[in-house]
Amino acid sequence: MSAPSSFRYISKPRRVVEDRRFVVGKGHYAGDISAEGMLHVALVASTHPAARIISIDASAALALPGVHKVLTGAEFAEGCEPLMNGLETPAVKRYPLAVGATRYMGEWIAAVVADTRAIAEDAAELVEVTYEPLPFVIGAEEAYDPASPPVHPGHGSNVLLDKTFHWGPVEEDFARSEHQLKYRVVWGRNATVPIETFAVLASWDPWRNVMDVWASIQMPKFADQIARALRLPMTSVRVHQDVDVGGSYGVKRGIKHTVLVAHLARLLNRPVRLIEDRLENMRGGDMHGPDRIFDVELAFNGDGVINAMKMRALDNVGAYAGRAPFQLGKPIGAIVGPYKINSVRYQAIAVTSNKAVEEAVRGFGQAPTNYAIETGVDLVAEKLGLDRIELRRRNFIRADEFPYLIPSGTSYDSGDYHAVVDKVLAHAGYAELITERDRLRAEGMLAGIGVASCLEPSGGNSSFEPLLNEKNTTTTWMESVRINVDALGTVTAAIHTTSSGQGHETLVSTVVGEVLQIDPDKIQVVRPDSIASLPGNSPVGSRMAIMMGGAAFHAAGKLKAKLFKIAAHIFGCAPEALTYESGVVSGAGHTLSWMELVTICHRHFHQLPADTEPGLEATHVFQVPTGVALPKDGRVQMYPCHSFEFHLVLVVIDPIIGKPELRRYVIGHDCGTVINPHIVKGMTLGGIAHGIGAALLEEFVYDEQGQMMSQSFMDYLLPSSHEVPHVEIVHHCTPSPFTVFGQKGSGESGYLGAPAAVSGAINDALRPLGIRMSKLPIRISALSDAVAAATDANQV
Amino acid sequence: MKAARFDYHCAGSVAEACQALASHEDARLIAGGQTLVPMMAMRLARPALLVDIARLSELRTIEAHGGELVTGACVRQAQAERDPLVRAHAPLLARALPFVGHAPTRNRGTLGGSIANADPAAEIPLVLVTLSGSVDVRQGDVSAQVAASDLFEGPMMTLLAPTACITAVRFPVWEQQRIGTGFVEVSARQSDYAYVCAAAQVALDADGTVLRCALGIGGATAVPTRLSDVAQALTGRSVTLELARAALAPAIAALDIMVDAHASRDYRRRVALRFAEQALMAACADATAQAAGARS
Repeated sequence: MSAPSSFRYISKPRRVVEDRRFVVGKGHYAGDISAEGMLHVALVASTHPAARIISIDASAALALPGVHKVLTGAEFAEGCEPLMNGLETPAVKRYPLAVGATRYMGEWIAAVVADTRAIAEDAAELVEVTYEPLPFVIGAEEAYDPASPPVHPGHGSNVLLDKTFHWGPVEEDFARSEHQLKYRVVWGRNATVPIETFAVLASWDPWRNVMDVWASIQMPKFADQIARALRLPMTSVRVHQDVDVGGSYGVKRGIKHTVLVAHLARLLNRPVRLIEDRLENMRGGDMHGPDRIFDVELAFNGDGVINAMKMRALDNVGAYAGRAPFQLGKPIGAIVGPYKINSVRYQAIAVTSNKAVEEAVRGFGQAPTNYAIETGVDLVAEKLGLDRIELRRRNFIRADEFPYLIPSGTSYDSGDYHAVVDKVLAHAGYAELITERDRLRAEGMLAGIGVASCLEPSGGNSSFEPLLNEKNTTTTWMESVRINVDALGTVTAAIHTTSSGQGHETLVSTVVGEVLQIDPDKIQVVRPDSIASLPGNSPVGSRMAIMMGGAAFHAAGKLKAKLFKIAAHIFGCAPEALTYESGVVSGAGHTLSWMELVTICHRHFHQLPADTEPGLEATHVFQVPTGVALPKDGRVQMYPCHSFEFHLVLVVIDPIIGKPELRRYVIGHDCGTVINPHIVKGMTLGGIAHGIGAALLEEFVYDEQGQMMSQSFMDYLLPSSHEVPHVEIVHHCTPSPFTVFGQKGSGESGYLGAPAAVSGAINDALRPLGIRMSKLPIRISALSDAVAAATDANQV
Repeated sequence: MKAARFDYHCAGSVAEACQALASHEDARLIAGGQTLVPMMAMRLARPALLVDIARLSELRTIEAHGGELVTGACVRQAQAERDPLVRAHAPLLARALPFVGHAPTRNRGTLGGSIANADPAAEIPLVLVTLSGSVDVRQGDVSAQVAASDLFEGPMMTLLAPTACITAVRFPVWEQQRIGTGFVEVSARQSDYAYVCAAAQVALDADGTVLRCALGIGGATAVPTRLSDVAQALTGRSVTLELARAALAPAIAALDIMVDAHASRDYRRRVALRFAEQALMAACADATAQAAGARS
């Protein structure tokens, strides 16, 4: 590993390759693609949170000119397999359309296919569904109650997962600690909510036996799942990965959409497209994130050292299983945050309810967990009368203690938390910030400072799968890059996944350019379709800088090794005697230029060493660093790398109006070696904006009748440029020893700590009143009402 | 999110528009369309016939005469925001317009459209009620004037018949020299529907005594509420915060406040009181500053 200062292209503020086409409006999305004879789909949505489907009368819809098909769940299920279920809960079956019963308001009951989307919507209104309403359950605690109506009667209860881990001597640590406290915090259901809803076009070619799919997808093993559901060989599913994806951060899974549309394309022998509208996306697109209640107990000494934690995390995953319950598993890899907590008891519970299905969202459960931990750390400081930052310092893992093994089995790679905090405090002028807060308080405002110190586990392994489901023995979670140098000497790198804004073309061209010492702008990056692709697992778990960057590094290294072998053969020397400079290989008094080497590979077989293939190409399939073993005794090495972020926020609130204004926002960020500074900055700013949304604005709300109250952007409120303050970023670099350049992940940065920091700032502001807000998002009216109640109580 | 089928008629005159409106039971006017079009896209509104009046030049004039600022119903909000006549003669409207939606929606949205829509949180109806303005209405061949105090009947409801068309909006012009305005609102995000908003316009004499006062609350009540008694009580006085508070407390306490999922009744009442104070004090400060030649 080289020192960052020695890089040619890595860490340099080079233009992001992808930005050029997006800035001029030339992105190419799934919705931009059409096929001759294409038909359009609209969905009939359930109006009940739970009901038996007595009958579906499509006659009026089918009578409308331009309508080709009304597909019901029952008909779909006759010809296809249920969608993938991550847990061993065979009675919890999910199909793209409700089969026999509907389990949430907005669930897709039938699909209408027509000449235009408008006709399909007209026809969808004419489909008459007769329901027999059933008892339903909305809240997580209610669903956990054995007396609640089971969403899947065959499963017997609403509990999908209820597993308790004991890591270390928890009870002993609680017994020996001077102090204990317990608290509850609630994380409201939000998501990333991209402007581009899910879009998919499928086209079946019976003469080639190929189902072509263009989709706005971010999904591991997408083609595998389509093939299984449609009972096709995987060689017949061709997912085109060269489409731009208009935002995702986890939610663009779209498996039910794709299987549905592909089935219709095969059934009707016509290309079929579905572009969800906002209502279909918000209420029935299966894109909501974690919805979680935490009950936490902490045991600590008088000096603030936290010895042990008991955490119960109850997640409301909605009507079906999918991968959502695993979002309780990933945080196990950073369950103690950046702190030296000696022992932990963790109870992970996933329950079904009559809400829409939960999917992966940025951080895969880590942001809620960080919020729960950070709230507790603030409470410990409050109880002991200690400064919150000093308390964190006392509990931080020290820079000289890495690699650091946490109780749940993950070894943290590296970090210097104290240094990052010091840098941020120096940058922000912490003493002045406190003075400013106190000045605002003296003026009659509520003012508070929030801090959050959080980890971003990165490198995207799937160790939580075997940890939560013993029948799953997956340890492989690879990524592949293939590099080809053509006969004219230009370089193409192939990657094998879609991108949803992560800048993979920039990443791979930068890494290959660094190794081969070629201008990255001259390197072409392409995405073969899924049939032509090498194995990969898509951009999840903040993994691509590590994984795709690692694969590109090793493939480029193999290519370089081949050049050395050829040059050594021609020069008659050992490869070790050779040097490489910008494509030119020298040694033993000889030199071969890049073009001469390329020509030898492509045209001069007679000059190649005996056992050498012609052409100049190299492939590397890269396994996650540290991803070598199955879990043992409930412990596992989760992700290889751990980025660190420290947030410092000043909030001011008029006590009557109750609207939090973020007056200062500073983040210290350490994701090791940065490959491209613009990309990291963009992800961090976007993550903070999303975190502000989670803390203050965004929630999918269901009322007591099980109706969803936030189905559009009128009620689901995304932060705009007015709500997101100027953010000051303070950089620090602690390289990871496990990655090729020392890089760590940053795809989830900002979001992992912003909700905790904003909530902490508001609760600091409320502390003089003796109240705190313990549910996100913190609404203006609720905040003001709590202040008024506390003020009245204090006056009595 | 495709609208249900509808017919479209682009009217060539107000008379033609009124004729077309009367021709079909489910006909509706469209001007800026900034509320109607999203409602149609979600199929919450499904008119059979849309009668478009946005292009009628006779509805896009701005004039000041007879002690009134008279704007055509289809004056775009953005146009009014930048208009010197509006600024000079209806300063409270100019003060409130930047709070209406977003710049892109103001480019399309009209003054008359916002009034006809009668959203309780909307700023333009609040200004109209606060200033005791009125609208010109045409129905068939009959033209009439309707006072703002009579116009709004409830959330999204006016007393206008479905076949009526607002043609002009009238804001009284105050003749005093030192006029100040104040406008405040709170919403979840900037440009969202206001939970509460308040508008005030005052005229002061050289000593700072109130010659004329208008004050109104929006968002908190089913229709914009003009606080006439408070305005009356403050007229002839020099306004202090204590005085304003004393006059406002009983008036706000007596209001019938709305509640919804976004904000509690108590919240709206507390904020209404605070905002009425703030709007009043801001208006007085604005009027005072003008004497010093510093009109904001």
